Amino acid sequence: MKLNERSVAHYATCDSPPDKTGFLFKKGERNTAYHRRWFVLKGNMLFYFEERDGREPIGVIVLEGCTVELCESAEEFAFAVKFDCAKARVYKLAADSQAAMESWVKALSRASFDYMRLVVKELERQLEEIQDAAGAGGQQARPKPQRRHQVARSRSGASSSSSSSSSSLSSSSSAPSMTAVCSAPRSLQDEAQLVSGGSRENGVAWSKAPAGGSAEAAPSCVSWDGSTDSGIVSGCGPDEGRAPPVPPRRFGASLESPVSPDTGCFSKLHDWYGREVEELRAQWLQSQ
Amino acid sequence: MRFNEKELVCLSRQPSEMAAELGMRGPKKGDVVKRRLVKLVVNFLFYFRTDEEEPVGALLLEQCRVEREDTQTFSIAFLDDAERKYLFECDSEEQCKEWIDSIIKASYEFMRRNLIFYRTEIHRLTGKDPLEQYGISDETRFQVNSGSQLMARDTSSL
Repeated sequence: MKLNERSVAHYATCDSPPDKTGFLFKKGERNTAYHRRWFVLKGNMLFYFEERDGREPIGVIVLEGCTVELCESAEEFAFAVKFDCAKARVYKLAADSQAAMESWVKALSRASFDYMRLVVKELERQLEEIQDAAGAGGQQARPKPQRRHQVARSRSGASSSSSSSSSSLSSSSSAPSMTAVCSAPRSLQDEAQLVSGGSRENGVAWSKAPAGGSAEAAPSCVSWDGSTDSGIVSGCGPDEGRAPPVPPRRFGASLESPVSPDTGCFSKLHDWYGREVEELRAQWLQSQ
Repeated sequence: MRFNEKELVCLSRQPSEMAAELGMRGPKKGDVVKRRLVKLVVNFLFYFRTDEEEPVGALLLEQCRVEREDTQTFSIAFLDDAERKYLFECDSEEQCKEWIDSIIKASYEFMRRNLIFYRTEIHRLTGKDPLEQYGISDETRFQVNSGSQLMARDTSSL
């Protein structure tokens, strides 16, 4: 099977930041001795070089779908990368120390695209929940009001930790299992869109994938403009008799809201923001 | 460069984001358009001869540029050699748009940026790092700037 090897090798050495690097011993396939190699983990690709400043990797292990296990071995600090498919090869690796081994096992077991996708989805869901509860559409309101979680939370301030918030997140039935497991969970089938339109709409330049590109620049520094947030207007009594909405809360410097103080009803506010976002999105898409 | 081909073939059989028969043309001069079953799985684009089990090939979709070539055609080029384009002919403008959109989102780097965004935003709104409860706040891949820790030091948003 062909692979765009030259570009893959380029990915290994280009200036996108690696997720982890270091020396590991790798057991050879035919020659069963352990060879010391320089490993570079980027995303779900584990490259290995003959030397630390090698220009090109000798090889790459695609980590998608793998499990990482500690293994019984004469070699100290050994672990294995295993795959679920028939006649798959087991990659035996060994680190220099217990700490290094643990660090690599942790990094490799979370290296899959699937895992990253789950984390992103979970955070996306959390953000939506937070925004829904606070009643602010802002720049990130999703244009789909059906999926709304009315969560009643009491918060005493921006920086105080609220015990109720974490329990409500973990009890959500849609939250995937996020405990540290060695095997990356399998993909969710319903992921038509990895990212809500919200990330493209954000005025901050970082999130705009250029119409052509992906990953052209390394993750850039983000300058967050906290003062663009409007104050939160509390909603009226909820329609379905759920718990009362959260009291007004100041996120940013100003309490100014584009919505008149008369718009007390939460669902109206939500729809209003949703429509505004839809329009902005349509405009943005047209300008592309 | 060696790679774990068996496992990659196995990956090509996994459920995909998108799969369709498209006209595909390789990047070399003289390459002609061939009908291929094109399948997007995580950050790989596999292409099969119709009715064959094993893919003809795979393209890792990192460090690539996806472009609209005309109403129904898109191209993929890799940043190390931007002139070499793989061309894909779709059956409709709609389908072409869908593929472009999906491929852009299919890179690990793209997802990482989104994760960082959500993480930062949630932290800004709640004062809490959402990754802490999963024990992954320290992982390099989730940092805002490569290597540096946003959560520990940055209190300007609070």
